[in-house]
Amino acid sequence: MSTPDELDALAGLLGSRTATITPNAISAAIVAELRERLARIGYRRYALLDRGSYEYLDDALDAGRARALFGDAIGPVRALRLGPGDYLLAHHDHLHDHRQVELVLDVSAAAVPGAEVHYRRRGQLFHRAPSQPGALSTVERDGAVTCHHTYVSRRYPAAEIVRLVARRQPGR
Amino acid sequence: MDSVWNSTVLGRDEARLQAMWRAAAPFAHVVIDDLLPGDHLDAVLAIVDEEPVDPYESDIFAFDATAPEPRTPELRALRDGFAAALAPVLSGFTGKTVTRVDMRAYAYREGHYLLPHSDHQHGLGRALAYAYYLPSPTPPVGGELELFRCTIAGGELTSTERALLVEPKANRLVVFDVNDVSLHQVREVTHGLRLSLAGWFYP
Repeated sequence: MSTPDELDALAGLLGSRTATITPNAISAAIVAELRERLARIGYRRYALLDRGSYEYLDDALDAGRARALFGDAIGPVRALRLGPGDYLLAHHDHLHDHRQVELVLDVSAAAVPGAEVHYRRRGQLFHRAPSQPGALSTVERDGAVTCHHTYVSRRYPAAEIVRLVARRQPGR
Repeated sequence: MDSVWNSTVLGRDEARLQAMWRAAAPFAHVVIDDLLPGDHLDAVLAIVDEEPVDPYESDIFAFDATAPEPRTPELRALRDGFAAALAPVLSGFTGKTVTRVDMRAYAYREGHYLLPHSDHQHGLGRALAYAYYLPSPTPPVGGELELFRCTIAGGELTSTERALLVEPKANRLVVFDVNDVSLHQVREVTHGLRLSLAGWFYP
C-alpha cells in the first residue's frame, strides 16, 4: 500500500494519475448538434489579451445534458470557441489546490493542426489533447498542474475550435 | 576595430528623438529607419550568420533564437559595441539611465509568434526593450510588432486595445519603454522569414 507522499512522488514522475484521450467519445452527429446549439445560444468574447483571446459561454449545457455527456458529479460546463489568432495562456488558468478531473470534449467541425490543449506539471508537458473532433480528454489535476490552449494559427483562416470543458471530483 | 554601431544615425538629433519618445502612443517608443549604412549592415549579417540558433516554444511564443549569452566572440563584441554606442544616446532622450544590453538573434519562420505580454518582471531590471530588423532572403508576411493600449482601474488591468503596428522593415530599430502596461506582441509570420536582433537595456 502506497502512502499519499509516495503517490504524489509517483504522480510527479508520471505527470498525473489520469491523463487519457478517448477518440470518438461521441458521434459526428452529436458533435455537430452540440456545436450548432452553442452557436445559437451565443458566445461572449474574452479579450484581456495578456491572458487570452477567445469566445466563451458559461453554463453551456443544462444539468441533464451535462450528465449524459460527462457522467455524474459534474460541475458547470463551459464552452470555448477559438478562431485564427486565438489562445488561452497558462497564467489565465484557474489553479486548484484539491484534485479534480478536467474533461475536455472537442466539438469542432474539423481538426486544426497544432490547435491543442496542453497540461504541464511543474513546467513539464505531460498531456497533450490534440485537435480531434469527437475526442474526450480526461486529466486529473491539482495545484501543480497548469493548462493552456495553444495559439490557433492564422494560416488556417477557416479554423473554428469548439471545446466543452467540465470538472468533477476524482473517483466519481 | 571601431564598432559598426558608431555610425548609426541615432545620435544626430536627440531633441527630435526626445519629442518622439514623449509624444508616442500607446506608450513611449521610437522607430528609427536606416540605422546603419549598407556596408555596416552586411558586417552585422555576417556575424549573425555564424551564430547557431535553437527552437524555443512555450504557451506564449514559438521562434528560433540564439542562446541568451552569445556563443561567438563576434556576437558578444557586436552586443557590447551596441551598448557602448546606443546607451548614452538612449539615456539622453528617454530619461532612463542605461548602460548595458543583452542581445539575441531571432528567426521567426512560418507559424512563429510571440503573444501579448509586457517585458516587465520584478528583479530583472529591464529598462528599455529594442528590436533591430535584419534583411531577410524571404521577407515575412506578418511578423509586425503590435503595441496595445491598456486601461488600469483599481490596480487591475481592465481592457487591452490594439493601437499600433510596426512593420519589421530591414535596418529599422524600435526602442520602447518597459513597464507594467507596455503590452506588445509579434504577430504570427504566415509566410517567409523575419530576422532580428532584440533584447533589453539595463541600468
